[in-house]
Amino acid sequence: MKTGQTDLPVLLPSRPPATPGEWGLSDASAVFGSRKVLAALVAFAVLSVAVAEAADANARPGILATVLKWTPLIATGFLFNLAVSVASMAVGTVAGVMLGLGQISIFRPVRGISWAATQFFRNSPWLVLLFFAMFLLPFEMKIGGVTVALPAWFKAIIGLALPVMANVAEIVRGGIRSIPVGQWESAESLAFTRFQTLWRIILPQAVKRMIPPWMNLYAILTMATTLISVVGIQDAMTLTRGALVAEARTDLYLPLYAMLLLLFFVYCYPIARLTQALERRFAVRI
Amino acid sequence: MKRLLRIALSTAVVALGLAAPAAAQDTIAQIKQKGTIVVGVKNDYKPWGFLDPSGKIVGLEIDLIDDVAKKLGVKVEMIPVTAANRMEFLQQGRIDMIVATMGDTEARRKVVGMIEPNYYAGATNVLAPKSANLKQWSDLKGRKVCAVQGAYYNRRVSEMYAPDLVVFPAVPDALNALQGGNCIAFLFDDTLIVSTLSGGDAKWANYEMPLVSEDPQLWAIGVRLSDLNAPFGKLIKDMSVEWHKSGRLLELERKWGIKQSPYLIEQNRKLKSS
Repeated sequence: MKTGQTDLPVLLPSRPPATPGEWGLSDASAVFGSRKVLAALVAFAVLSVAVAEAADANARPGILATVLKWTPLIATGFLFNLAVSVASMAVGTVAGVMLGLGQISIFRPVRGISWAATQFFRNSPWLVLLFFAMFLLPFEMKIGGVTVALPAWFKAIIGLALPVMANVAEIVRGGIRSIPVGQWESAESLAFTRFQTLWRIILPQAVKRMIPPWMNLYAILTMATTLISVVGIQDAMTLTRGALVAEARTDLYLPLYAMLLLLFFVYCYPIARLTQALERRFAVRI
Repeated sequence: MKRLLRIALSTAVVALGLAAPAAAQDTIAQIKQKGTIVVGVKNDYKPWGFLDPSGKIVGLEIDLIDDVAKKLGVKVEMIPVTAANRMEFLQQGRIDMIVATMGDTEARRKVVGMIEPNYYAGATNVLAPKSANLKQWSDLKGRKVCAVQGAYYNRRVSEMYAPDLVVFPAVPDALNALQGGNCIAFLFDDTLIVSTLSGGDAKWANYEMPLVSEDPQLWAIGVRLSDLNAPFGKLIKDMSVEWHKSGRLLELERKWGIKQSPYLIEQNRKLKSS
């Protein structure tokens, strides 16, 4: 990387040694937490089935058997939710990083627009944004004579990416702002350009601080993907409802939804633990 | 000169047709070219269209769609729709046909081509615990009544009898709320209430259908308005006549455990004799 056109003897930042495993966690159990949590989880599952089973006096096909019968289908729907969450997070992160950097731009208009966009999307209900994306985006689009179909799942990804974008923008802005101003001043005195300062000095430190809230946001987004069932997309929530309709048994209501809840919990809880572990690890004194 | 005029006119008609999606080319030809007919269906309305554990959609309406597909020699692609989006999907060309418990109303006829003869007729009633002691529709006034989002009878009932409607996204949620005592009755299609009550579930032993069914409503298969009098619409109409005449619909009712609807029996008799 070029360090700018200057004859001055400048001090280049030292490259941190790329040690593998620096990000890895030495303590794997930290991710899955104590055994207590796992035990509580299993107990919850057993309990919700047991309660329903006990309430069901007449011997129809068992609740557990019925729940298991529908599990593969609902799990497929759950994978779809995960795919939507990953895609929304990717789109939202890319857009959010740009918006976040825009907020610290030295050009006033860029700063203003970025700030306004962030505030708008951060303070709007997710479901309402999703509705806007579903009904404002056309069913197909003409791009240079080629008609591209915009399927519902694609629109849902955009709809969910909007609030994610705004939240990521705030994470990025906050992360950068959390680095003491002294670092900017020192870098400037060492003749680093603004871009160099940001890219080589500020961001490497700030990213570490952004990771935990970013992961937190991802977990929240994953749980929020069930919102897409409201706009008619066949996700895990819709399929669970479909299973309930097909069985036409009110005693399945809680067990089936409990199963769905467990799927999300098993996925999101480790993320929460990992976030905490990273937070502890990155609690660096600068 | 006359001939030239005719050509010009027909070109204009074709050009106009192009403006409306998928009308210029005959829909049947299009479906055959694709090799699939795309149909908007319900997947949360047992026994008309619902899921089986493998994720396939099955039900009475699906059997009708299979008949159409067999006739055309194509495969079926089913897109689950809701009352809120099915007509939009049809107009956009995302689906070729709606077979999704759609009530045939005057307002909808302006947007969707409704196939006649209608394949089913339902009426509105409520499912309520016997203890609620409902005698007539006006007893619902000011009381909490569970309903399902997007059902055509919600509006009429709330205008006429002013119940406090509690609207749920789908049938199981509403039934669960009824059992949980969140409302005194569940507003629904009468044949489905009969099916629920006669299903032998002990949970419904103390429930009844206390009112006189109201507002008979025909259900129709929907096609695009431009298809209604085109070959595609005509084909579906002919098939619909055949379904009534041959007793296919009555047979399907039995297959899916629906109470014999007087409408279907009457249509069967009428068309047979004609």
